[in-house]
Order: sequence, then structure tokens, then C-alpha cells
Amino acid sequence: MDTVIGTSRVRPDAAAKVRGETVYVADLPVHDALTAVLVRSPHRFARIRRLDTRRAAQLPGVVAIAHRDTVPDTPLDFGIKDQHLFPREYVRYAGEPVVAIAAETLEQARAAAAAVEIDYEPLPCVDNVEQALAPDAPLVHPDWETYEHGASRVLRGNICGQNRISRGDVDAALARAHVTVTSNFRFSAGIPGYIEPRAALARKEADGGLTVFCGSQSPYGNRDDLAAFFGLAPERVRFINQFVGGAFGGKILMAAEWYAAALALQCDRPVRLVFSRHEDGLNVFPRHGGIATFTSGAAADGTLLAMRASFVFDTGAYIGYGAGTGLIATMLASAPYRIANVDLQATLVYTNKQVAGPVRAPGGPQATWAKELHIDEIARRLDMDPLEMRLKNAWEDGDVSATGQTLRSVSVKEALRRAADAIGWQKTRAPGHGRGIACSWWFSSCSRSEARVEIRSDGSVHLHSGNPEVGTGSAAAALPIVVADRLGIDPSAVTLTLADTATKTYDSGVGGSGSTFSAGLAALQAAEAVRARLIERAEDLLEARREDIDLHRGKASVRGAPDHALSFAEIAAGSGGSISGSGTAPEIGDPEFDAESVESHDFASWLAPSFVASAAAVRVDAQTGRVEVQRIVTAQDVGHAVNPTGIIGQIEGGAVQGLGFGLTEELRFGEQGIENPGFQDYLMPTALDAPAIESIIIERPSGEGPLGMKGVGEPPVTTPAAAIGNAIRDAIGTVPYTTPMTPERVWRAACDASAQGPSEYSSRST
Amino acid sequence: MQAIKVNVNGDVRDAMVEPDESLLQFVRERLQLTGTKEGCSTGYCGACTVLVDGEPVNACLFFAVDADRRHVTTVEGLSGSDGTLATLQRCFIEAAALQCGFCTPGMLLAAAALLERTPSPSEHEVRAALSGNICRCTGYQPIIKAVQSAAQALRREGASAPPRTPQRVQARA
Ligand code: FES
Ligand code: FES
Repeated sequence: MDTVIGTSRVRPDAAAKVRGETVYVADLPVHDALTAVLVRSPHRFARIRRLDTRRAAQLPGVVAIAHRDTVPDTPLDFGIKDQHLFPREYVRYAGEPVVAIAAETLEQARAAAAAVEIDYEPLPCVDNVEQALAPDAPLVHPDWETYEHGASRVLRGNICGQNRISRGDVDAALARAHVTVTSNFRFSAGIPGYIEPRAALARKEADGGLTVFCGSQSPYGNRDDLAAFFGLAPERVRFINQFVGGAFGGKILMAAEWYAAALALQCDRPVRLVFSRHEDGLNVFPRHGGIATFTSGAAADGTLLAMRASFVFDTGAYIGYGAGTGLIATMLASAPYRIANVDLQATLVYTNKQVAGPVRAPGGPQATWAKELHIDEIARRLDMDPLEMRLKNAWEDGDVSATGQTLRSVSVKEALRRAADAIGWQKTRAPGHGRGIACSWWFSSCSRSEARVEIRSDGSVHLHSGNPEVGTGSAAAALPIVVADRLGIDPSAVTLTLADTATKTYDSGVGGSGSTFSAGLAALQAAEAVRARLIERAEDLLEARREDIDLHRGKASVRGAPDHALSFAEIAAGSGGSISGSGTAPEIGDPEFDAESVESHDFASWLAPSFVASAAAVRVDAQTGRVEVQRIVTAQDVGHAVNPTGIIGQIEGGAVQGLGFGLTEELRFGEQGIENPGFQDYLMPTALDAPAIESIIIERPSGEGPLGMKGVGEPPVTTPAAAIGNAIRDAIGTVPYTTPMTPERVWRAACDASAQGPSEYSSRST
Repeated sequence: MQAIKVNVNGDVRDAMVEPDESLLQFVRERLQLTGTKEGCSTGYCGACTVLVDGEPVNACLFFAVDADRRHVTTVEGLSGSDGTLATLQRCFIEAAALQCGFCTPGMLLAAAALLERTPSPSEHEVRAALSGNICRCTGYQPIIKAVQSAAQALRREGASAPPRTPQRVQARA
């Protein structure tokens, strides 16, 4: 059999995309659809005194109005039941949708929106994490004590999440250290930055069921949530996913889908809700902003002895899907280093802002940037090469993590060395130029996923997977490769049906770097089943022994007698017209860990962990603070490269998103809420800002799961900003401990550098 | 409403449009040419880029009435009438210059306009020409490579440019 896995391929969906033929939700033909608009809260925090839609309902063209009194009053459940679909007593962020309206035309819907009467009583707000934790802070949820929540969740006033990992005796180890360093960091909230604003088209069916056309990362999960909320049987609700114009974690939770559905259930016409960029910005699930403090001690030879780290993340008005950020942050804080004494904590707090969400690698860029700048600061205090410092302390096979997980297939040193070599670590730097390096680890997810492969009577091969194609190619490119590999055909011969809940191939969705892992294993199994059936049938039809039968170029042939062959169509015809097989991703349990080391932590060991290092070369103009990133190299261990082109795409895209997080992207909040919900003053990197990027793929198979794969999509966005920050300090001797590291902040840091360092130092000679 | 006559991808289209209707609404909603994308409607993402008389414009900021008697090229007009892909489109596919594909139509047209006036662009010239088009997926590198290899291929082919050379619509009295 020719191997297909691991070869570079053209994406099957590429031709339609360059022709402009690919259909995204907003491109669906609409005919008789109503247009929906939302009425949003102008206040960051207010009590709703009165809500009256009677006048709006009288206006011409208005067909349906949805708000707190038209939908079930069941709270949404994201571990803490702190949110209703439409706010009931309080609005908690500026931009929160309060009323949804469907009308014949956009103008009529807007006129009705303007006629909705709402009396608000504005309340004192919580602006940031420090305020949220202040003893006299207003409560974002005055009745938090009445909320139900999961057993592992901490809820106390404005605190809506807390976890801790500890081991050894940090204080004693710090007291012994040759040098101790404390660093304080602040990171900004940011948007996922997909270019396609969210949109949905919902239609009530004659049987009372509901069809939703969406562009989601999780159509099955969304379908289940929506059906449960409206009291419909899940099989009566159908989510049909379209191509998605980028997602990056921002399309896991429903937004437009909820409101279109709430309206469509009231009328006999489809309802279309397409967010403008501005609305998408108001409804965004941003990356968590927050603060972090690290204190670590090292021996004179650079051995890390102890680390204390604490994060406070701003989760916004509701917990949403953001709880994982705190769990991941503590898992990243001391990794991938051997440190015997650690105390790592993360706290999530409510503020009156948009609901933070699981943006690509939740917590990853923030925690990695802070930790890796801190490690460099220690190296500088010791007058040690930052690469050498990392190589001295980095994990090797058999080491244990902070939670006691025994680590296997560890490649972090190789990643560091190869990234350093590629950036020219040892070469001398010209004045104003700097190089930096950073490393980290990440998890793979193996979650529920099902697939079905079918060979039809004409010999065509069809793949049904519930895994949505959101742009990465995890479905459209990688799954056909896996199937083609098992069936001895070209991937372009596999026709993929986009995720549609009517096909009943459940998938947990794109997230947690698990798509190729979970959906890939399901597709692999389905293809194996079809392969076995093909060979079994060919055995009879060709009168040969099964071990002599090869599948090659769409035919089953007898080894040594290539003319003695049957096409898939002939075999299918001889088998009642079609041959099909199903697959389900195997349950792979999480690795063992030391339960004593954690508090309120349900993500304390990581399946098939991957390792990544980035190195950056920058030029800094100390006069203006301008940072030019010239090159980024990322070396990433993917276990087994199923789709190398896709992996390089993830690394390159991750590098530039990481650069944006580090240098330019900042969601700003003011008196009226988000000040920059559009693209005009939220600065995502352009082609002129993006550096040359080199991708190094390392393949150290994981040993967990049949193909040895490790998650790919998230790790490469975690390390670039840290490498850039360290490169800035290498160039000018200092770096701002606030993201984004804007020219103004770099310039200020340079001005302050002579007077005082960016953080508090204390050191002690032994 | 105002009457306009626009040559879109080689077809002369007569239409009545609102005075404040954007060229983006015109092509997407009236002509059902949905290949042109809307990412921001404020001129900052470039997803809506089309060519008007060969010049790239943000269709979201361009009034449909201002396209009267002019040539408009959208992504649907890049390939030949028989469906053969343009060199630039082929190079985008081969260089893996797209992931989600939402920025792709705008990128292609911005790049086509560049290659029309600058057949041998430097890397910096390519980056500058595409700097009004945001791509969140690819990190730009494969897009730059695709445009450079298209430039090379077009020079080899001896063709001067991938899109049809625009000519003004002859006004019929
Ligand atoms: S939609 Fe026109 S520039 Fe973004
Ligand atoms: S390919 Fe997704 S935005 Fe460019």
C-alpha cells in the first residue's frame, strides 16, 4: 500500500475556495427569511426596571420578538448556572443582548429595536481583576449564593473559579536559593479574530422541530444545549454546519444561533441573523486578560529550586466556557521544568465585561509569556545563557510533572536546541538586535467522535464525520488522508460531508487540539472496517486468500497478479450495492497523577502531551520603542505528522497570532464597555507586520493512541510572544511586563531601565 | 433608486440601486455573487476587495452608483469562462495559501491588481500590496509565496496579467 499519511497534499476544499464558491452561513440563499436584530444593553451593569416591547410589536413588518419572558427561565449550565439566555433582573456588560427582533426587512427590524422601551437603573461596576477582589467590591452577581454549580467549582462573591497545584516546601527552598526573583505581569484581553462574523439561519419545521444552519466549532454540542434549553428532543433539532471563516475558539459557544432559534420558534418563516463586525465585537468571547505574579528561586548553577505563581483571570460577566483557562494556567506555570517545590494558583473573577472564552490555547499565550519572561529574568540574574538555563532544567523522559504525572516521549530539549540552532543562537547580535527563546507543553484531547465510511455502487468513497471544518483542514484535509491511506486511494477521491447532526456521527467539536486525534481515530476505525469488508468480499469474488489481497488505486488485486483485480464499484455491486463501516474514537483515559498535589483541579494530567519551542529575532528602536520581528522559528513535536501541510499552516498562523498577542492586540474597556469592537483600532498583524517563519516538525510518537499523534493546533500560538519578549530584552536590556508590548510600553521600559528594573529583585549569595 | 450599467466579470448588468447601496451589497445581494466576503464593512479587513477598472477597492466602502459604466472584477471573474483556474488561483492552491478561505477572494484580487502593475514584485512589495487584507489563519507566508510564484509563472507564460485588462464599458446612448 502506498502511504498517504504524512505526505503533503493540496486541500480538497481549496479549489472551491479560490473560486469563491465555498458557502459560509451568510452566503446561503435566503428567499423568504426574516432579518433579525438584537437590542443590547448600553450599560455595563444595571438593573432592568421595566421592559416593554408592545410598541415595537405594533410596527410594520415585525414578526417575532424574543426576550426574558418568551423563553424558558432555565439558566444555562457551564459548570456554574450563572447566566440566562436573556438577562432577567440585571444586565452585566455593555452589549449584552436583551431583546431579539425578527422583521421583514433590516430597516423594519431596526425601527422596532429603537421602539423597545427599557428602563435601566445603572449600578456601580467592577472594571478589572483588582477591583473584583477588593473587600468592598460591588458584586457582579448579587445573588451568587443561590447559584447551582459543579462540585469542583469554587464560587465565592466575585470569585468564580480557583485551583491550586502544590508540591514540596516552597518557602524552605526559596530560603536556600542563591537568587530569588519576583516578577509581576499584566496581560490584555484579545479577540479570536476570525474574519467571518458569526451568523445563523434558523427554521421551524412542520413537525415542530428546528433546523439551524451554522458555522460552529461544535454543532453537536450546540444542538444538545439548544434542544435541552427549549425542551425539544435532540433528534428533532438539526444543526447543519457550513464552511467556517475561521474560529480560533470563538465559535464553540453559540451566539447568533440562540437568538435566531428563539425567534424562529415563534414564527413560520426562517430567521436570519448575521452579525456585523461591530456586533460580533460586542458579542465576542475574548481571550482572558488578567495578572500574574511569579517568585522563583534558583541555585548558583541555575537549577530551579522553587516557584510560587499566582494568576488572576478576568472572566467577564459570566463563567461561560472560560473555566479551563485557570486549570491550564497552573499546568503551564512551572512546565516544562523539573522544579521540586511549587505552589501554583489561579483565580477567575467576574467583572462587568464580555464573557471571556476558550480562545485558541486558552491561557496558553498568557501563562507562557509570563513564565518564560520570568525564567529569562532568573537567567539574567545568574548571568547565565537563557538557552542553557532551560536545557539544564527541562524535562526528560521519566521526569514527573508538578502534579506527579510521569512524562514520556518528552522532546522539549530537542525542540529548544533545534529552534535555537535555526535562529542562529550563538551568533553575535548587532546593536539593537536581539534573540529570544521560549518553550512550553500542551495537551491532546481525545473526546467522543464518530465517523462512517461508505463505498457506493459507483465505487465512490464517502466519509461522514461530525467534526466541523473550521478552516484548519482538520476535517476537510486530514480525515480524507486517513481514510485514503487505509483504502489505498488518493485523498481527493474521498468525498467528505460537512458536519450535519442528521448524519448521526457525533463529534465533540474542534477544541483542545483534538480534532485530528479524535475524529482521525474515528475515521481510521471506520476505514479499517470498510477495508476489512472489501477484502473479505474480494476473497470470494477473486478466489484468493485475504493475505494476498492488496488495496491499491481503487482496486482490490491479488498480489503477484495485478490483472486479477476488481474495482471498488464491482465489489460494492457484488455486496448489495454498498459497503460501509463505522468508527468511534477509542476512550483513552487520562494519565495517572498525584491527587494530593491538587485542589479543585480536574485537568491535572495531560494525554499525549506535546512540546514546543519558539525562537525569535527582533530589531528594537529604543528611541521609538518600535519592535520589528524579523524571524520566528517554531519547533513542535506533533508525535506523528498525519498532514504536514496542515501542521505547517498551524505553526505559521500560530506564530502571527502569537505575535499579535505579544505586540499589538488589546481589547480596551472604558465607561461604555469595549472601546474597540471593530477592526479599525484593534490591531491584528498584517502582511507587513508578519515575520519570516520557519517551522520545524518533530515526530516523537506519543504511545497513547494508535497513530502516536499529539495535538497540533494550539501549542504554536503559546510560545511566540514569549520568545519575542525575551528577544526585546536581549536587544535593549529590558522589556515591558504588560501585553501587548506596544512601542509606547517598550519605550517607557527603556526609559525606566536605567532607574529601575521592570520588577522587584531580591537576591542572596550563599 | 438609480439606474446603473456595470460590466461585472465581462457581463453588462443593468440594475436599479439605492443611492447608499454599497458595491458589496450590489454584488452579493443583487447579483448573488457571494464569493466576495464581508468581514468588517468598515474598510479594515479587505475581505470585500474587488477590482474597479483594474484598481482594488474595498467594495464595502464603494457606492454601487460609482461603479456605473465601469468594469468590476470579483473572484468569480478570475477563472476563464471555461472554468480553468487562473495562474494566481492555482498558485494559491499549490502554496497552501488558504485555510478557512474567507480572506482568499479579497487576497486574490489585491494580488491580481499588484501583478497587473508590477510583474516582478519584491517580497516587500507583495506584503505592502496585501497589507489591507487581513488573514488570521495562515500567517501570510504561504500567500506571499503564492503571489511570487504566480508572478514567476506569468512572466514565463508571457502573459501580462491574470485578470482581463479592463476596458471601460461603452456607454450606449
Ligand atoms: S468588509 Fe470591506 S474591508 Fe472589511
Ligand atoms: S485563510 Fe482564514 S483568514 Fe485567511
